[in-house]
Amino acid sequence: MEPKWAEENLQTIRTLMERSALYRRALAPVMLICGISGLAGGVAGWQWQLNSYLEFGFVWVATAIFALGCSTLFVRQQALKDSEPFWSPPTRRVTQALTPPFLIGAVMSGMMIFWGNDDLAKQLAILIWCLTFGCGIHAAGFFMPRGIRWFGWIFILAGFGLLAGLVAKNDLASLPCSPHLLMAAIFGGLHLAYGIYLYFTEKKTPVA
Amino acid sequence: MNPEPFLQLDRLIHEKGRLAIMSMLAASPELTFTELRDALSMTDGNLTTHIKALQQEGYVSVAKSYQNNRPLTTCSLTAAGRKAFAEYINLLEQIVRQNKPK
Repeated sequence: MEPKWAEENLQTIRTLMERSALYRRALAPVMLICGISGLAGGVAGWQWQLNSYLEFGFVWVATAIFALGCSTLFVRQQALKDSEPFWSPPTRRVTQALTPPFLIGAVMSGMMIFWGNDDLAKQLAILIWCLTFGCGIHAAGFFMPRGIRWFGWIFILAGFGLLAGLVAKNDLASLPCSPHLLMAAIFGGLHLAYGIYLYFTEKKTPVA
Repeated sequence: MNPEPFLQLDRLIHEKGRLAIMSMLAASPELTFTELRDALSMTDGNLTTHIKALQQEGYVSVAKSYQNNRPLTTCSLTAAGRKAFAEYINLLEQIVRQNKPK
């Protein structure tokens, strides 16, 4: 009997078990719609001068709800097309991983924006969104294709970069550009770039 | 080398295709027929044959339902299937340990 045989079999089992637990829906359309929504939200907020902290909050809550709604529709459409349940075990796991950091980000930034009283609230909200969004994506990445964890790290690093920039200027309340444009660049730009990358690299058929 | 663990391996699970199905189902509460078929690149007929064999042994349960007027077949491991799979893994690990140079 080939001595390596049993070891190879175990490795195959491990790989298959990992694959089975992975979320397999195509992410390119979801990333593209999130990117386009982010860019549109940022440009609209900047163009229409929606600069009070309340307006800023409303623009980005509305953008997030729109992007989330469209993403859910895309994912549901894919599930229907493949004759699979929408609320599948991998979808449940990804949602469970995303929920705590997203909730922390939403509650903390919500409190700062809606009860805050100066520009600092907006800057800190962007910072918190970057960090908690990055943490959520990274956590969900354990149940998704590996590249998504790097995507999470980019948001975390963007948050740290923003913090470092604000601290270096010794003025936490001033940004080099409109907070809307910064949000558009970070959330819209990164999602769009990743969506384009996935569009050309993601397998067209769902492979575990 | 002691051939005992090898002889104890469950022949039904040991077949490549059925082992793949058992491995996938062991990591997920349930999987649809299409998920299994696409993930394992099997034909419908091949997968059906393997699932039937595992079902007859009581290792896999198959549930048929409808979702949006389309038939939906979901498969999951039974308690007996989970136990048999765990025993199979234990035996494989035993074989690997035996083959390790001392």
